[in-house]
Amino acid sequence: MSLSKLVFRSMKKNMKHYYLYFFALIFSVTLYFSFVTLQNNAEVLATVQKSGTATAGFEAATYILYFIILFFVLYANHLFMKRRSKEVGLYQLIGMTKGLIVRLLAVENILLFVGAVILGMTAGFFSSRFFAMVLLRVLEKEALVTMTFSTQALQQSIVVFAILLVIVLAQMAWMIQRVSLLSLFSASKQADERVKRFSPLQMMIGFLGLVLIAYGYYASTKLFDIESTGNLFVNMIIILASTIGGTFLVFRFSVAFIMNSVRLKKNGHLSVHDVLALTPIMHRMKSNAKSLTLITVLTGVSLGVTTLSYIAYYSSEASAYSQVPGDYILLEDNGQEFLQTLKQNNIAYNKVDYRLQAVTASVAQLLPKDQKDSPFYNMKGTIYTVPLSDYRQSVPEASMSGNDVILTNYGGYMAEMFPLEKDHDMVVTVGEHEETFHVIDVQDKSIISGIVTAGGGGPIFVVTDKLFEKLAKYSNESQWHKQTSITLKSKEDLALAEKLYRQSGAGVISSIDSEGETKSYKQASFEGKRKENIETLGITIFTTAFLGLAFLMTTGSILYFKQMSEAEEERGSYTILRKIGFAERDIMKGIYMKQAFNFGVPLLIGLLHSYFAVKSGWFLFGTELTTPLWIAMICYIALYAIFAVLSVGYYKKVIRESL
Amino acid sequence: MAVLIGRKVKKVYGKKSTAQEVLKGIDVEVNKGEFVGIMGPSGSGKTTLLNVLCSIDFATEGVIEINGQSLRGMKEKALANFRREQLGFIFQDYNLLDTLTVKENILLPLAIGKLPKAVAESRVKELTHLLGITDILHKYPNEISGGQKQRTSAARALITNPSLVFADEPTGALDSKSATALLKNLQSINEAKEATIMMVTHDAVAASFCTRVLFLKDGLIYSELYKGDKTRQAFFQEIMHTQSVLGGDGYES
Repeated sequence: MSLSKLVFRSMKKNMKHYYLYFFALIFSVTLYFSFVTLQNNAEVLATVQKSGTATAGFEAATYILYFIILFFVLYANHLFMKRRSKEVGLYQLIGMTKGLIVRLLAVENILLFVGAVILGMTAGFFSSRFFAMVLLRVLEKEALVTMTFSTQALQQSIVVFAILLVIVLAQMAWMIQRVSLLSLFSASKQADERVKRFSPLQMMIGFLGLVLIAYGYYASTKLFDIESTGNLFVNMIIILASTIGGTFLVFRFSVAFIMNSVRLKKNGHLSVHDVLALTPIMHRMKSNAKSLTLITVLTGVSLGVTTLSYIAYYSSEASAYSQVPGDYILLEDNGQEFLQTLKQNNIAYNKVDYRLQAVTASVAQLLPKDQKDSPFYNMKGTIYTVPLSDYRQSVPEASMSGNDVILTNYGGYMAEMFPLEKDHDMVVTVGEHEETFHVIDVQDKSIISGIVTAGGGGPIFVVTDKLFEKLAKYSNESQWHKQTSITLKSKEDLALAEKLYRQSGAGVISSIDSEGETKSYKQASFEGKRKENIETLGITIFTTAFLGLAFLMTTGSILYFKQMSEAEEERGSYTILRKIGFAERDIMKGIYMKQAFNFGVPLLIGLLHSYFAVKSGWFLFGTELTTPLWIAMICYIALYAIFAVLSVGYYKKVIRESL
Repeated sequence: MAVLIGRKVKKVYGKKSTAQEVLKGIDVEVNKGEFVGIMGPSGSGKTTLLNVLCSIDFATEGVIEINGQSLRGMKEKALANFRREQLGFIFQDYNLLDTLTVKENILLPLAIGKLPKAVAESRVKELTHLLGITDILHKYPNEISGGQKQRTSAARALITNPSLVFADEPTGALDSKSATALLKNLQSINEAKEATIMMVTHDAVAASFCTRVLFLKDGLIYSELYKGDKTRQAFFQEIMHTQSVLGGDGYES
C-alpha cells in the first residue's frame, strides 16, 4: 500500500478523532480571518483611521489573537497525538521508521490544515461582516457594511497559518522522536495517579494554597490605598504570584486533600456521586492541576480585561456627565448667541445659573484621621464655591447656616482613592481673608463643568449666600465667576441643538486666569463629549471583547476536549458499572456532579480572581462597577455552561454506548 | 427450585442479509444451589449465552426467567436494578475500578441501594474472610495480584446476596495456583451459602469444580455432565473425554 493510500485510509478511520482537532483548526482560522478582514473593511477603516491609537490597538490585538490561536492549536494537536499514540505505536511495531511516520502524519496534517483554512476563511468571511456591524454599532456609527473580500487579509492569514503549520509539524515530529515504543502504548495511562495516604506535608501545602489566594485577594484590595507604601509594580507582581501559585496548589493538593478526607470518612461505603465524581477527579488532579490552573488564570485575566474595558465604555456617559454636567455648559458670558438661536428655533430649555468664587483650601484635611501622614494632607488647591440659593435650583431641599458647607461634585476615581469624610472643620483662604468651613456633607452630584474644577469630579463647596457674598469680594482672585447650565426640555431637539452649538462657536471659551493671562478652553457639549468617549473606548471594548471571546472559546474548548478524552478513558468503568447494574441515569447523576466540578471550579476561581483584580483598580477606568461586572460575568458563565452541557452530552453518548 | 429458566433462546447478530445465528434455540434450567459450568470450543456461543441470560444482551427469541421473573419487556432501568439486586458478576479481566480501593470496589453494588451500613460491613467481613482478602481492603487494584483482584471481584459479585452469580472465564487470566484457589473459594461459597453460580470456561480443570457442566457446540447444547458423587479427578477425566469427542480445538488452556 502506498503512503498516500495509507493516509487516506487512516484519515477515514480516524474521522471521529479528527473532527475535534479539525474543528479547533477551523475555529481558529475563522476567528483570525474575520478579525483581519474586519481591519481591511472600508467602512471600519474610515471610522477607525480618525483615531491613531485604534490602528495600533488592532495590530496589538492581532498579535495577541495569534498567540491565543497558537497556544490553542498546539494544545489540541498535543491531545490529538496522545490519542493516536496506539496507532503510531502500531506503525512502529510493523517496522515503519519514525521518519516515515512523521511524513505520514505530516501529510495528514497538511491536508487537514488546507481543509481547515478553506472552510475557516469562508466562515470568517461571513462572520467578519457580523463583527463589523457589531463594531460600528458599538461606536454608534450608522453605516452600511458591505462584504468585501480582502486579498490582503487572505495573504496575511495564509502566511500566518503556514507558520502555524510548521510549528505544529515540528511539535509532532518532536513528540514522535521523543517517545519510545513502550511508552506509546501506555501514553493514555500515564496520567493516572493512585492517591494513597496523604502525608501531613501535602495537607500543609494544600492549606498553603488557600492561604496564598486569600493573601493575594487581601493585598489586591489594598493595592491603591494611599497609605500603601512601596512600589506599585512590585506589589502587583506579588499579588499575581501569590494568586497564581495559590491556584496551582489548590488544584494540585487542596482539592485532592479535601476530597480524600471526605472519602476516608465514608470508610468504603461510597455513593454513586463519590464513585463517578469524587474519586476520578481526585485521581486525575495531578495531571490536571497544571492545565486547570492555566485555564483558571486565563479566564480570570480575560474576564478582568474585558470587564475593565467594559466599565470604561459603560461609564462613558457618566464620565462625560462629570465633565459636562448638563446638555450645554456656558461659562462666564460666552455663548449668549447660542441661546438666542435656540430661542429662534423654538427649542425649549431649562437654564440654571451658578455664581462661582474660588478659594484656596486643602481638601485632604477631610481625609480620615489615620492618613494624616499622607503627603497629600497639606496640599493646597483652588476650589470653587457656589451660593446655596443657586444650588437650590437643582437641589431644592438643601439647607444650611453659618459656616456650614456641603462638599459636592466630588466623584470619579478621586473619590474612590481619597474618600473624604464629613463633620470636619477646614480653613480656607481667599486673598488675605481666612474663613473656617464646617463640612456637613460630602456628595458626588455633578453640577460644575470639568473646566472649572480642573478635571471632572473635582470638589465644589456649597456655601450660604451670606458667606458667598463675603468671599465674592475677592472676585478678582477667581478665574471663573459664572456658569450657566442648559438642559433641553425635549431630547428630540438634540440634533438641531448640537448643530447650532457647533455653528455658534459657543464651545470656544477664553478667560483670564488669576495671573492675568488669557487662556482659551474648549467646552464640549455633553453629547459631543459622550460621542468622543464612545469613539475612543468603543474600539477598546470591541477588541478586548473579541479577544475575551477568543480566550473564552479556547479555554472552553480545551476543557471540553479534555472531558472528551476523559470520557473515552473512562468508558471501561462505565461498562463495568452498567454490567453490574447501574442504570444510565444513575451514572449520569455522578457525571453531572463531575462536570459541575470540572467546569464550575475553574470558572468560579477565575471569576473570583477577576473580581478582585477588577475591584482593586476599576475606578481608574470608569464610574460604574456593578452592572458591567455582572454583565461580563454572566456572559462568561453562560458560555461556560454551554461547554459544560456539550460535555455532559458527550458523556451521555459514551455511557449509552458503553454496554 | 429453578432459579434460571431459558426456553428456546435464540440470538442472531447482524442484519437480514448477513445474519448469523449464534444461539440456535437453547433450553437451560439452573436450580438453586447449583454450580453450573458452560464449556465449548471458541465460537460456540458460550459468552453470548451468558450475556443473554444475565440481561447484558438481549435474546432475539425465546423466554428467560430468573426467579420467576421474565426479562423480556423489562425497561433499561428495571433491568439495571434487577442486575444489581439479583445478579452477581465475575469477569475474566476482573473489571474493578482503578480509582477505588478493594473495599470500595466490593461495596460498589450497594452504592445505590439502601442497605444499612452495619449490615454491609458485616457482609464485607464475612466474604473477605471466606475469600482471604481481609488484609488488602485498603489497597488499590494496581497494588494487588491478579488472584487477589479476582477474589475482590468475587466478593463484589456476592455482596448483594444475589440469586445467581455469573462468572465469565474467571480463571482465564490467572496462573493455575491462583485459579485453583479461586475455584475452591467459589466452591466453598457455593456450598456454605447455597449461592447459585453459572460459569463459562474452557478450562476443564475449572469446569471440574462444578456440579454440572453443559457443552455447547455451534449454538446448541451438545451434551450435559453431572458430577454426582464422583471425585473431582474422575469428573475431570469425563469432561476431558467429552471435550475430545466434541472435537475442534478441544483443549485450549
